[in-house]
Amino acid sequence: MTDTATEKILICIDDTDDLDSIGTGELLENICAAMEKAGLGRAGFVTRHQLLISDRIAYTSHNSSMCCSAETNDLPSLLKLAGAYLEANCAPSSDPGLCVFRCGEAAEGLSEFGRRAQNEVLTKDDAYAAAACYPGRVFLSEHGGSGDGVIGALAGVGLRLTGNDGRIKGKIRPENPGEIMTAAEFCRRYHVARLINDDGETAAPDELVRFDEQTKAVLLDDLITLPADRKDGFWIPRPKKKSPKDGK
Amino acid sequence: MNGFVYENGRAYFVLGDSAEETASHNAAKCSFFSRDYEEECFYDDDVTCYNCRYRRWNRDGFECMKGGCQ
Repeated sequence: MTDTATEKILICIDDTDDLDSIGTGELLENICAAMEKAGLGRAGFVTRHQLLISDRIAYTSHNSSMCCSAETNDLPSLLKLAGAYLEANCAPSSDPGLCVFRCGEAAEGLSEFGRRAQNEVLTKDDAYAAAACYPGRVFLSEHGGSGDGVIGALAGVGLRLTGNDGRIKGKIRPENPGEIMTAAEFCRRYHVARLINDDGETAAPDELVRFDEQTKAVLLDDLITLPADRKDGFWIPRPKKKSPKDGK
Repeated sequence: MNGFVYENGRAYFVLGDSAEETASHNAAKCSFFSRDYEEECFYDDDVTCYNCRYRRWNRDGFECMKGGCQ
């Protein structure tokens, strides 16, 4: 990819899997890899966004969508590639949807749509109506089955845009369990922006972190944030153990 | 007590999302247990129904798509 004429985008997909296929997150990473291989752009990190759990929604097992930030120099080609990839690789019984969003000015209507999708049953018509408020910025498309995945795909973009929703895909594992280092070194080594506790306090760069167990980062204030606790003079990243349906 | 209620040929785990002991016990003896994708596992690396790809979350817990300990 060249560095000229790139634009920031979000790519989100939903309803791509069944009980025995690869996961939506892995599929999104594969799309991003194909995008990079084709020289169409560069991918950022992937977030998972929990949507409403309801018997009235035909999700596979957990009703979450996956969203990735990216930069592209050729949006039309990227849209083509992503759509074709979904059609070739989604589970046969799935209802895949794709949403690509051009970043830039605020899009509060999409965030509102995302929050609604966490609390009420929405339809494809709802999704297309919300997307229509951002002409030229939202690209919503169906790639098989009922195409209902467009609902979650748009919701995922909206929730990612809030900057305060979802977990970052992937575990963060200590290279040497129990190792102590400064917060600055920790953030550099493990690619997080900050450690924060439940009181909203952030670890100062020179404070010490003791990294004992694998953990998960979340998106907070649009930053890759690691929940942590202060104990015995150390910041200790919180082990990955939360309520299964807690999307925060 | 495995936490399942059986209705119309379907198996619903009704103990919510925090009955770790029961869910772990069930998974340990289940021949269908298969760990879900990393992003959908919420209890570290535990062998538990909560981490199984064949559970479908609902408001009260989850439905086991493999019949729930039968």
